[in-house]
Amino acid sequence: MTTTSETTTPDRSWIADITMTELERNPYQAYERLRQEAPLAFVPVLGSYVASTADICREIATSPDFEAVITPAGGRTFGHPAIIGVNGDIHSDLRGMVEPQLQPVEVDRWVDDLVRPIARRYLEAFEADGHADIVTQFAEPVSVRSLGDLLGLQDVSSDKLRQWFGQLSRSFTNAAMTEDGEFVNPDGFVEGDVARAEIQAAVDPLIDKWIEEPAETAISHWLHDGMPPGKTRDRQYIYPTIYVYLLGAMQEPGHGIASTLVGLFSEPEQMEEVVDDPTLIPRAISEGMRWTSPIWSATARISKVPVTIAGVDLPANTPVILSYGSANHDTGVYDAPTRYDIKRPPLPHLAFGAGNHACAGIYYANHVMRIALEELFEAIPNLERNTSTDIEFWGWGFRGPTSLPVDWEV
Amino acid sequence: MAFTATVGNQQVSCGEDQSMLDAFLRAGVWMPNSCNQGTCGTCKLRVVDGDVDHGDSPADTLTAEEREAGLALACQARLRSDSVVETLGGAVGGGITHPLRDLTATVLSNDEIARDTRRLLLELPEPLAFHPGQYVELTVPGTQLRRQYSLANTADEDKVLELHVRSVSGGAATERWIFTSMAVGDQIPVTGPLGDFFLPAEDSDDGGPMVLIGGGTGLAPLIGLARTALSRDPGRRVLLYHGVRGVDDLYNLDQMAELTKVYPAFTFVPVLSHEAPAAESVHREGFPTDHFIEDVDSARGWSGWLCGPPPMVEAGVRAFKRRRMAPRMIHREKFTPATD
Repeated sequence: MTTTSETTTPDRSWIADITMTELERNPYQAYERLRQEAPLAFVPVLGSYVASTADICREIATSPDFEAVITPAGGRTFGHPAIIGVNGDIHSDLRGMVEPQLQPVEVDRWVDDLVRPIARRYLEAFEADGHADIVTQFAEPVSVRSLGDLLGLQDVSSDKLRQWFGQLSRSFTNAAMTEDGEFVNPDGFVEGDVARAEIQAAVDPLIDKWIEEPAETAISHWLHDGMPPGKTRDRQYIYPTIYVYLLGAMQEPGHGIASTLVGLFSEPEQMEEVVDDPTLIPRAISEGMRWTSPIWSATARISKVPVTIAGVDLPANTPVILSYGSANHDTGVYDAPTRYDIKRPPLPHLAFGAGNHACAGIYYANHVMRIALEELFEAIPNLERNTSTDIEFWGWGFRGPTSLPVDWEV
Repeated sequence: MAFTATVGNQQVSCGEDQSMLDAFLRAGVWMPNSCNQGTCGTCKLRVVDGDVDHGDSPADTLTAEEREAGLALACQARLRSDSVVETLGGAVGGGITHPLRDLTATVLSNDEIARDTRRLLLELPEPLAFHPGQYVELTVPGTQLRRQYSLANTADEDKVLELHVRSVSGGAATERWIFTSMAVGDQIPVTGPLGDFFLPAEDSDDGGPMVLIGGGTGLAPLIGLARTALSRDPGRRVLLYHGVRGVDDLYNLDQMAELTKVYPAFTFVPVLSHEAPAAESVHREGFPTDHFIEDVDSARGWSGWLCGPPPMVEAGVRAFKRRRMAPRMIHREKFTPATD
């Protein structure tokens, strides 16, 4: 009898079978397996390496051997230079342009006066009805109206802003790639192009005005701040960053509000505690952001030099998509991560990213979500989920519930 | 030996065996507090710098993670070094603080006013400043046992305190003292005022409608609150429900009738849970929270006040929210069983 010694290579062929549709419906199953078997892996349908655990996402996001890169579909949607995909001086200039309005002391000065009346207005429109879809009637409108007014887009309706983020979002995450590195579905970018054309048609006249007459709006500040007298930043230079705002910053606080509510509905006792004690809302939001991270898998880095990460050799110029939504379900960090639980140890999560490209709007977004939920529970403390339908979440790049029907006694 | 606690720009000396809360309140520094026995968590604060002994802080109220994160229960924790602390919530009561004091009161009367229920009138040697709705602690003679009783007084009734006491089977304070050996003329130690169950300061009181629900002797603080609210705004809608088992448990009916006569928008609703009301009586049957739901379509803009056994308070919170009262307008004082 002879024995042969075999070295078995784990079968990773399943990774090639992952589809975009599966990821958009529910990325958690595929990513759970990625975290276990191949936490840094090339995923063919995405045409990119993917980091899925907390440690690897954090390591890459903060490593000097990596810099930012926009995903191919993101770059196709936004154009250059978008703040999320640039480095060096341009990145410093763009961060220097957006950050002054987003500093905590600055946000504290106006956020309550900005967001609270908006939240009340939307609540007043339906609070006597006894039923509503929280996503479309409250979470999204409050999110877009608050940021729209901050940017100076008071004349653009909330429905138009919601339409734009939807178009940009689907275009940005139209990520499927062929083996040859081509987009599988190039037509999927058309609606993003349509949105951009509409945005420019609406914003160009405002920019014309603000060049002549600076105003207290974020976009006016972006044109003027830090520029020599008489000069403004070129509009084509700031448009990609305007699109970043009109997608992520418009959509994600709404996702965060809705996901936090779905999480709370799954734990009725915790829901009751939070409704009764609004000081718990920030903790509820933090857990909601971990549980279903709104920016689930939309940012990337690229290696500047050959590096070895988690045993995987990456040549220079290798893009890696950071799946923060997966990292926030890493069982190495969180017990029973699929459960929404405001009582879990308040460990840091990666919903806002890490490193020098971490979200610039963390403080603002957290306050928008907090004020929205404070006003919702104040006006409708007897909120109940309508259980006649299941709640559907959608999205791989950006993720949240597509609708959230609720009822209450009036 | 004493240590210094710094909170904001104020410094308070805390004795080695003195809870931080006790030291703060005696010094006239407000700190949110409610049960003072470690069960409610209202007085939770953050120890930014320094060491504390958590004493008997229950693990349910102050978890291991919270201890790790520097939180402490002010009513249980003792300082072990000079410390810097900060409160977690904002100040309440319009920032007006009435210092915690120890006084010796004289028992003026101790009368049975309903089944197993006594009214104690305690005369103080000097006025005690308090917010209507707060409570005082009595120490059972010859023991270290403290028992908490709400004040039925308004703020100007500051020389004679009115407490309502219901007998507890085997109770050290009731069966073995108040209902048996306590006599008129006795000198007894009183510590107070305590608690956070009180109206907003007059200038921030919007005069909105109020519903108050008391179970048994939970009526006591509601009497002080209702009379204060009505004197501030005589036209204010005030609904007071008194939930008891039977007619024999009702008391202060003359006072309720008088308030109803003087204030047309005041309504008193006695509710019997274990007895069918007599024909044509004003009594209702069942639970007061259910009657509130029947009586009031919308409680938007109302404030709610609950004092009684925990199940009644919890049912009240649910009833108020069902009628869409804002949770921050819901105030509760739970009878919590003595821990010793």
